[in-house]
Amino acid sequence: MPFTDIAVAIQISFTYFTIIYLTGLGGLFSERSGIVNIGLEGLMIVGTVTGAFGARFFTDTVGLGTIWGPILGLLFGALCGAIFASVHAVATITFRVDHIVSGVVINLIAIGLARFLSYAFFNGQSTQSDPGGPHLARLDIPGLSSLPGGLDRAFEGLSPMVIVAALMVIPVWYSLNRLRWGLRLRSCGENPEATRSLGVSVPLYRYQGVLLSGAFAGMSGAFLAAEVIGAWREGQTLGLGFIALAALILSNWNPIRLMFFAWLFGFAVAIPLRLQDAPVISLLPEQFIRMIPYVVTIVAIAGFVGRVRPPAAAGRAYEGGGGS
Amino acid sequence: MSAEGMAAPMAAPRARPAWLESFAGQLLALLASFGIALVIGALLILAYGENPIEVYRSIFDASLGSADGIGYVLSIATPLIFAALAVSVCFKGGMFNIGVEGQYYVAMILAAVAELNLDFLPGPLLVPAVLIAAMLGGMIWAAIPGVLKVRTGAHEVVTTIMLNGIAISLVGWALNGPLKYNDAPEGAFVDLRTNVFPKTGLAGDLGSAFGITPGAHLSWLFMLAVAAAVIVWFLIRRTRLGYEARAVGSSPGSAKAGGVSIGSTQVRLFLISGALAGLVGMQNILADRGYLPLNFVVGLGFTGIAVAFLGQNNPIGIIFAALLWGILSRGEVALQISSQVPREFIIILQGLLILTVVITYQIAKRRLAARQLQRAGMFGELDDSDAPGESAGPRGPEETGAEALEPSDEKRI
Repeated sequence: MPFTDIAVAIQISFTYFTIIYLTGLGGLFSERSGIVNIGLEGLMIVGTVTGAFGARFFTDTVGLGTIWGPILGLLFGALCGAIFASVHAVATITFRVDHIVSGVVINLIAIGLARFLSYAFFNGQSTQSDPGGPHLARLDIPGLSSLPGGLDRAFEGLSPMVIVAALMVIPVWYSLNRLRWGLRLRSCGENPEATRSLGVSVPLYRYQGVLLSGAFAGMSGAFLAAEVIGAWREGQTLGLGFIALAALILSNWNPIRLMFFAWLFGFAVAIPLRLQDAPVISLLPEQFIRMIPYVVTIVAIAGFVGRVRPPAAAGRAYEGGGGS
Repeated sequence: MSAEGMAAPMAAPRARPAWLESFAGQLLALLASFGIALVIGALLILAYGENPIEVYRSIFDASLGSADGIGYVLSIATPLIFAALAVSVCFKGGMFNIGVEGQYYVAMILAAVAELNLDFLPGPLLVPAVLIAAMLGGMIWAAIPGVLKVRTGAHEVVTTIMLNGIAISLVGWALNGPLKYNDAPEGAFVDLRTNVFPKTGLAGDLGSAFGITPGAHLSWLFMLAVAAAVIVWFLIRRTRLGYEARAVGSSPGSAKAGGVSIGSTQVRLFLISGALAGLVGMQNILADRGYLPLNFVVGLGFTGIAVAFLGQNNPIGIIFAALLWGILSRGEVALQISSQVPREFIIILQGLLILTVVITYQIAKRRLAARQLQRAGMFGELDDSDAPGESAGPRGPEETGAEALEPSDEKRI
């Protein structure tokens, strides 16, 4: 098997790393603040349909060109993700609905909402938009993209968002570990009663955490639809929101370790897309190759989950000073 | 709600039995949530420039206005009852079976294997054999997340979602390989599917006896679904396993202290849930189609979650919730014919319903709990917003907040 295949698989893995990492960061903010968010998939779904629409709207209809149009499209996806996440925030923080119940509801509603929005956005097409939407110019990474032996392919033609997502680790890590805001957010997820006794409004920080999770997951969905596929298609998130959740758990809710696991799962997703002909893998029927990312996720979760420690108060309703 | 709260006589704590109070409270919550969802829906309809009353009436006419409509509603509800029951059984034990979807895919494969290999059996034996095969398929696929949860602590939400992804590929593999059709006429184009099942192994049409069109595909599977709901009610309310499940679901710590084996209860609940999930696909392959196609109806497992929430995980409530869902789904047809409102409106209305039901029930539950505490005289003044829940108590030493306030958790890398 030529190196080119591996290189292209790595290139694809960077794309899926971006999706999983952005969504995982969203989950990180929410769960660090104490709100379990299994609605990430649903938030991504809303991001896909609004992102695909936003990219086209700002590029063609508003006429902002192929730099600002796609960027605003991504931001529009993030904004809509945050708005939709506010449903989860209101349900779990204000009304103290069980976090998993609310997350499941978010995922259920997202499918219908996406169809509804798609119908309005794309001339009555409720399950897809026209292909070939505008996206950002592709980048070659200087230096790495001149590697010999076909390996250069791994670093060519990447969306700038891949680099943005990778660099995102710096502000996220810094804000959570060095800023007062981040320390307070995390303390809401560890011990809300103690946090309140310090005069911090727990619901306020939790709202911020959940809205941020919507923004990140929404942007991730917008990236998937507008940048990767170039169109919205129903079901295009393929459970990546849940894979991101698995990566988040394995990372022990740490943004740096999350990078590794997001890439690992991204590579697992790339295998059926590009490495069907690799040794060993090619012996499997096509359908079994498609199971690889899911099997990898189950094995990883089953093998490692005992060794991580979630934020102590995540998933627990906080009763004091909530205010319904 | 609040008016009713004021009316509750403080001085006579046992004036009304608790179950009646909780029933009345739940009914009020249900009506309130329906009202809110319908009002928001009406605003949406107005935004489309249509008359909400007419749109709602056309939904009603299409679903309950004729015998045919009722037939369609019942057959839409059939798989949803099974799916929602499967979800609710796990939920009683505090677990989320998001994998009903994958479980019924696998069940349909095994049911098809049984249909095509046991076709020598007479009908009265073949059909039960097929149903058992389907339940086994669901149980196998449900056992995996159950055992993984108990053995490794892997959260069932993640594992079941991944198993759904695996199951869909499994169906594709089965239809391309071992179950690929070979009874097609020479040269005819046939979709990817299995061979046609023997006639004796199908769920025959029931509707024609009541003047319902055979197009509704109403079969005795609906009766089986209702029977399953009664069995689940009995199981949860009247058996030891049901008691243990409720104990594990509401307070694992107390259940353990009371001698309940949490792991074994959870695995057994997953197996029962899987067996119910196995029957979800039967309406589609035994009543609608008569074979297993690649484009079978997907998403029933997820809709089942919505129906379970709508029915508040009560088996009888689930029957009604599934019927309501069927009415709305059937209403989609009416919308297309008689109004400018897109059919996607129904999905939004269904979503609104789940959301309002979940939230109002939560509020109602809190109020009831707060009032019961008040009655018991444990607290002097108790407002809903200050009600201490079971989780607000002192916490274990490993959960102290000191760790959270450290500047970094780099040491854990």
